[in-house]
This record gives sequence, structure tokens and C-alpha cells, in this order.
Amino acid sequence: MSGSKVDVKVVLLGKSYAGKTCLVERYIHERYTGDTVPYHNTIGAAFGAKKVTVNGKSVVLGIWDTAGSERYESMSRIYYRNAKAAVLCFDLTDKSSFDRVRFWIGELQDHEENCKIYLCGTKKDIVDDDSSHRSVNEREAQALATDVMAELYETSSKTGENIRELFTKVAQDYLENLKPEEKADSFNLEEKKGKFPCACKES
Amino acid sequence: MDVIVEEHVNPDDLKKYEALYRDQERRGPPSDKATFDYAWCLVRSKYLKDMERGTSLLEDLFHNTKDEGAKRDYLYYMAIAYTRTKHYDTALKYTKAIKRIEPNNRQATQLENYIKEKMKKEGLMGMAIVGGAALALGGIVGLGIAALAKK
Repeated sequence: MSGSKVDVKVVLLGKSYAGKTCLVERYIHERYTGDTVPYHNTIGAAFGAKKVTVNGKSVVLGIWDTAGSERYESMSRIYYRNAKAAVLCFDLTDKSSFDRVRFWIGELQDHEENCKIYLCGTKKDIVDDDSSHRSVNEREAQALATDVMAELYETSSKTGENIRELFTKVAQDYLENLKPEEKADSFNLEEKKGKFPCACKES
Repeated sequence: MDVIVEEHVNPDDLKKYEALYRDQERRGPPSDKATFDYAWCLVRSKYLKDMERGTSLLEDLFHNTKDEGAKRDYLYYMAIAYTRTKHYDTALKYTKAIKRIEPNNRQATQLENYIKEKMKKEGLMGMAIVGGAALALGGIVGLGIAALAKK
């Protein structure tokens, strides 16, 4: 899908190897290649879009998957501009990736105060298999999430656990926070659709 | 892919990163980071001259680094730059070079598919123009024959 009809700009930020690309791959293409394809870090940024339907309304999420490498810090700053949602990813098995989340929170609070934050602890399957691999405890992550009024999700791109839930919540929050005039616009559109079904046909 | 290849730089960003680059240049050779940030802004400019300048900065970065990861990334941005300036064959050479380093690189594959699609579309368009010209020429010849027949 191209970027022309995006309703919600979502940006993924986090340390390299935190699993941002796998998260998007699982969500958009419903696939996981982490076991078969060798790891590549993302070059700069990648983009993908997906339509979500919440309570009968559809919303297109345009997701920017940014590179975690510090070489791209300025590029990531450009990509989070005007984002409505930021998913800050950290690897549940890597404490330093959680510290990096704090850095991005600071950035967003300084430059994009209207961007809603979501915390996403990845690789849940690994810590579920063997809890000794867990380096970020849920209480600590939840405390940080509460501090910045963010939601916390623990996901696994391998099993797909909680990924749809995370992005559906992003879409839902967007719809709930639409300004009254924007809401009115979308209602008008729906009315028109009902009254003049021919107008919606594509020629 | 269209979003990545076709987006334009925000003029304020271009100014900002150009200033950073120039500032470093005055004091000595600019850092790779400053050069890359500026080059990447130039590549996404609307103007051909900027895009070409960005490409040549990327080429310098590529030749001067020993870091394999960085090399791969510069190749990718050169491929994007050549795609934007419609040098599709050159762009494809760069995506191939990335795949020699990382055969499964998805971003390189996506860019390759985008370029091939563009070539197909623009190739057909070229054919359409040639076809139209042939029709027009046929018309003129036809008129000429008609005029001769009248004599």
C-alpha cells in the first residue's frame, strides 16, 4: 500500500535489534522470518501501511520503521515529526534497550508533545520460555509507562502475541481523540455514502 | 517504497543540515555524519543540481569509509538518488551490490521492484509517444499522397 491515504502517522523508535522491523513484518505481512533470514539492521527508515477497522470505522496506519543505529538519529528526528503515535520498542532481554526508551521519551516530550506514546517490550516468547532471560521487569516498565501516560504492551513477533492489540489500540485512540470538526467530517462522508451510493463507485 | 523514494525534503531541514556541514567545512573536513545528513537532504530536493550534489557526496563517503555497514547504507541511498534522477540502470547496479553483501536484504528488493515497475511504466509511455508520432507521420504521408492524387 502506498502512503497517499494515511490517516495516522505512527513511528517506531528504539535501539537496533530491539525488533522493530519484525514487529511491522508480523503486523503488516503476518509473517516472521527471524529464524530463517539472517538479521539485517534497517537502512535509514522503511515504510508500511495497513488499514484497521475499529467499531465499523476504518483507519489507515502509516508506519515508519526507523533504523536503531545512532548514525540515523537525525533521520529518525525527521521521521517522528508530526507523528500521532510513537511505539517505543525495547527488547525484554536487553536492559540497555530499555534505557534507550527513556532517551526517546525525552525527545518526544521536548519536540512532539501531541504524539501519543506506547511502550512495546519485544521478544516475549523468549522470556516466556525461560524467565531467566528477562532483563527488564514488567513492574519497572509499567512504572515508566504510567509516568508518561503511555500504554505498555509485551509482544512476540514470533507468535504474534499482542501485536494486533497494540496497533488496534493506536487506531482506537486516534479515533477517540479526533477533534469535533474532524469527526463531523467523517460522519458527513458516511451520510453521503448512504444517500448517494453511486457517488462512491469508482469509475 | 514510493513514500521513501518520492518524498521531498523540508526546505528548513536542508538549510539546517547545510549550515552544519558548511560550519564543519570551515574548520576542516566535515564528519561523516554531517556529510551524510546533508547529502540525504540534497538527494530529496526537488532540484536536479541538488540531487546530483548529494549523490557525489554519498559517493565520496562510500569510497572513504572502511565500515561495511556504512558502505551498504551509502549504496542504498545512492540507489535512491539515481532512481530519483531516473538513472534506473545505475540504480539497479547499486541494489545488486547491496544484495552481494546481504542477499536477503528486503529494502534492496523492494527498491529493485519499484525501479523495475517505473522502467516498465515509463518504457510503455515512451512507446506510446513513438507510436503517436508514427501515426502522425502516417497522416502527413497520407495527406501528401492525397495531394499528389489530386494533381
